[in-house]
Amino acid sequence: MENKPQNGMPVGQALLAAAMLLPGIGAVHAETAPERGSIGVKYLYYKEDQPGLDRVRVHAPAVSVLAPVAGEWSVAASATVDDVSGASPRYHTAVSGASRMDDLRKAGDVTVTRYLPRGTVSVSAAYSTEHDYVSRALSMQASLASEDKNTTWNFGVGGSDDSINPVNHIVQDAGRQTVSVLAGVTQVLTPVDVGQFTLTHTQGHGYYSDPYKMADNRPDKRRQDTALLQWNHRFVALGATSRLSYRFYHDSFGISAHTLGAEWVQGLSDGWTVTPAVRLYTQRAADFYFDPVYDRTLGEPFPPGYVFGSSQASSADQRLSGFGAVTLGVKLAKQLNRDWAVDFKVERYEQRGSWRVFGSGSPGLAPMRAVSLQIGVTRQW
Amino acid sequence: MSARLLAVCAVLAGLSGCALKPVQPWEKGELARTDMLLQGDSLETRFNEHIYASKEAASGGSAVGGGGCGCN
Amino acid sequence: MVNPVYTIDFQAMASRCEIRLAAADGAEARVLAEPALEEVRRIEAKYSRYRPDSIVSRINAAAGVAPVGCDEETLALLEYADAVHRSSGGRFDITSGVLRKAWDFRLGAVPSASTLEALLPLVGWQQVRREGGCVLLPQAGMELDFGGFGKEYAVDRAAEILIAQGVRHGYVNLGGDMRFLGPRPDGAEWSIGIQHPRDTRATIASVPFSRGALATSGDYERFFEADGRRYCHVLDPRSGMPVSYWRSVSVVSPMAIAAGSCSTTAMLLERDGLEFLEQSGLSYLAIDQDGHIFRR
Repeated sequence: MENKPQNGMPVGQALLAAAMLLPGIGAVHAETAPERGSIGVKYLYYKEDQPGLDRVRVHAPAVSVLAPVAGEWSVAASATVDDVSGASPRYHTAVSGASRMDDLRKAGDVTVTRYLPRGTVSVSAAYSTEHDYVSRALSMQASLASEDKNTTWNFGVGGSDDSINPVNHIVQDAGRQTVSVLAGVTQVLTPVDVGQFTLTHTQGHGYYSDPYKMADNRPDKRRQDTALLQWNHRFVALGATSRLSYRFYHDSFGISAHTLGAEWVQGLSDGWTVTPAVRLYTQRAADFYFDPVYDRTLGEPFPPGYVFGSSQASSADQRLSGFGAVTLGVKLAKQLNRDWAVDFKVERYEQRGSWRVFGSGSPGLAPMRAVSLQIGVTRQW
Repeated sequence: MSARLLAVCAVLAGLSGCALKPVQPWEKGELARTDMLLQGDSLETRFNEHIYASKEAASGGSAVGGGGCGCN
Repeated sequence: MVNPVYTIDFQAMASRCEIRLAAADGAEARVLAEPALEEVRRIEAKYSRYRPDSIVSRINAAAGVAPVGCDEETLALLEYADAVHRSSGGRFDITSGVLRKAWDFRLGAVPSASTLEALLPLVGWQQVRREGGCVLLPQAGMELDFGGFGKEYAVDRAAEILIAQGVRHGYVNLGGDMRFLGPRPDGAEWSIGIQHPRDTRATIASVPFSRGALATSGDYERFFEADGRRYCHVLDPRSGMPVSYWRSVSVVSPMAIAAGSCSTTAMLLERDGLEFLEQSGLSYLAIDQDGHIFRR
């Protein structure tokens, strides 16, 4: 079989060499080998502990593969196109307008993006299931850039339709529909500064309760608003980049939350990078959250004055309580050689009612701590 | 709450109405660095989002769409 | 001030073609594109089987009769055809065009074994004699067909003409085979999708480009389906039957002609095509008959 390397050269190079002998092509502008590709693997080890309860979770490795082309093959999940390469004489061009996604993919998720002269339009459909939960989502995002591409306006609208079928059959086929809109702007401020501001608004109705918790009855409507501000700054002289973010969240359950994130990506000698990171989080409890003080007659887990069958909202879910949380982490990455890079990240998360900022947190809850380790290996070829 | 929102809107006005000197295409070298991109490492972001959504009430902020998480 | 991008559409080689480039205005874009467009038409005319005065028609008419003198360009293309023939283990064969007499894709009828048997002896690049600047097809009825890489060759030639005129932002696209001359005027890369082999409105993957070339071969360009089986226009020269292992193969290479030869060869090698692509050292995206995607 003569598809072996020709004269020790891979076949592709041999053909290229033959092609370069053709008159008037390749002689002056021949390119060298294509860009290298990479495969990245991340293992996440995650341990959560609360006094009295020891829940250990280990996540399976996740893999991402980049193929060595002029860019990265982006398969199935999203197709961002100026033009289409295909064997058929019929093909789409940017001139023919936005792509039509009349038929939804039923399995997995798909995004198709049209790259227009000064912006993009993308449509996504997603379908995800777990053993007790099915979610279908459809969204559209568009971006519009200024002529100098320093300002980009982002817009999005999305909707989801979920169906919950808990194994304890407390409800069956409980539905929930949400609609979200997004508006934002990304601005290149200086050659070393870029900022982004994004607002989102979500409206939903349907089943929000946790079917696996007793006395958990949440409103059947929820309105959520977020405002996110991000700023990256490059310190060229120091070989470092700062990445800051602030998010404000408010919803109709009465929860307000603030998230402040900061990372410092510091380049060191010999291909090392160290990134210390801190995340501060604080949230106010939901209006219908009740502290672990129980009804005198009914006892745990029922809140005081609980009436069976009442439509009054209530929940003991710790996630809806008032608390503050701090994450401290550091990531170390090293480019070993031309082919291999490794990164190692350790993070510690702690959540405590007493750490709530702007008010007092919910009492009576044990602090929650979690440590996560993340190891990543990237190989380029 | 409305005072906070107003403060945040003021930032928006500041960001977009910037009278800074426009950055030219040839000056954008530093901005192309991976650590300067606004979206982080996709695997890391995905892990983080899932972990925080299971512990905290606030969610989202940077995108719409995508499938829901099973955690009610 | 960034120049806008202009698109010049035209029909050539039975495909929709376009040249996209950045220019100060539409008039300048036309002036830059015109010589490249003419080059495409020149190659189409020179190597067309359907024009009696083309070099290909003259060579085919002299099959079994006498050698035909060729110019430098044709000799170089024949030399290239020889290289591809060797690289593909004999499957990429520019004498296999004669098999189209057995396959009518409009009627959608599978030819009989005897029809194919009559044509197979006329297929065989190893029989072709090239010497002294001439080429001879030893048996009457033999034909040369440059369709296997003619379009990709035209892409590279058109690209060179644009580069020579100083075009640094744009690309040439002839029927889905492309060569990139440089990124978009603002420096962002062109984002190119790969045609979904079964859904004409969809793309199955995408890749950003600023230079280099991309070519795609597929079983959906010309085909018919009979009894639940697809018969496409890519024919194995040993049997005269279409290949069926791959739905689509896309290859990236610095030059379109090399990319196109590799993608077609991978289609022809069927199951062995994957090893071929792996050893080629080039980036590829291949979709097999079950829709599984392989890439590097």
